[in-house]
Amino acid sequence: MTDSADLERHYRRLLVFYPKAFREQHEQEVLAVLMAGAADGQRRPRASDCADLLGNAILAHLHQMKLHPSWDYRQVVRKSLAIEARHPRRSIIVRVAVGVWLLALTAFVYTAGPGGWWGALLVPAAALHFYLAYRLRHTLGR
Amino acid sequence: MQEATFLVLTALAGGSQHGYGIITDVERISDGRVRLRAGTLYTALERLAADGLIGVDREEIVDNRLRRYYRLTPTGEERLAEEALHLRSNAHAAIERLARIGGVATA
Repeated sequence: MTDSADLERHYRRLLVFYPKAFREQHEQEVLAVLMAGAADGQRRPRASDCADLLGNAILAHLHQMKLHPSWDYRQVVRKSLAIEARHPRRSIIVRVAVGVWLLALTAFVYTAGPGGWWGALLVPAAALHFYLAYRLRHTLGR
Repeated sequence: MQEATFLVLTALAGGSQHGYGIITDVERISDGRVRLRAGTLYTALERLAADGLIGVDREEIVDNRLRRYYRLTPTGEERLAEEALHLRSNAHAAIERLARIGGVATA
């Protein structure tokens, strides 16, 4: 098998991680670009191209699920908080329950686990849940 | 607008191009600073097409493979012009202030 056929096979295998719709639309184009950018006698995909393809495959899946990619996380947070605010009663219960559960988990890690400072890592998370529940209580009052 | 997006639109402002053509053109425009990778390029092209800033110009078969040429849409032209003016005014402000403290000569 020639080097370039070998290389193309490797790249084609990486494209499997993309959503089906994306592959149907762009697979040949992406392969053409990858092969055009390959060095003479190159048999293996470059590590940077692999990372780029895998990362962008994940982005394509997120896009397909209508989720915003990570760089737009603020919008995701804002949206989920807005959804919570529409159902404050239920959300408060969930927030408090999660907070209590996290604290229980912390207590468990401290007593039964190997202990150490990292057991307290969950405390800020629990505090955040309590704070959000507290904020929701205000929407309830309005 | 991200720099890669800006450069892709700038490349297409020079006429319709296919994927690898865009990559080499972007490299030239940016003086070799930006070399787009295949995955990143097609993520950008998908998004730009969804936003209506670019469209497919034509398709050809080269070496048994589909080759798609992209072009700037009128909306894309507008957005690129807007962004270019913003960048110019920002750059102008920076150069002017730096000149005042003796940083660089005013262009």
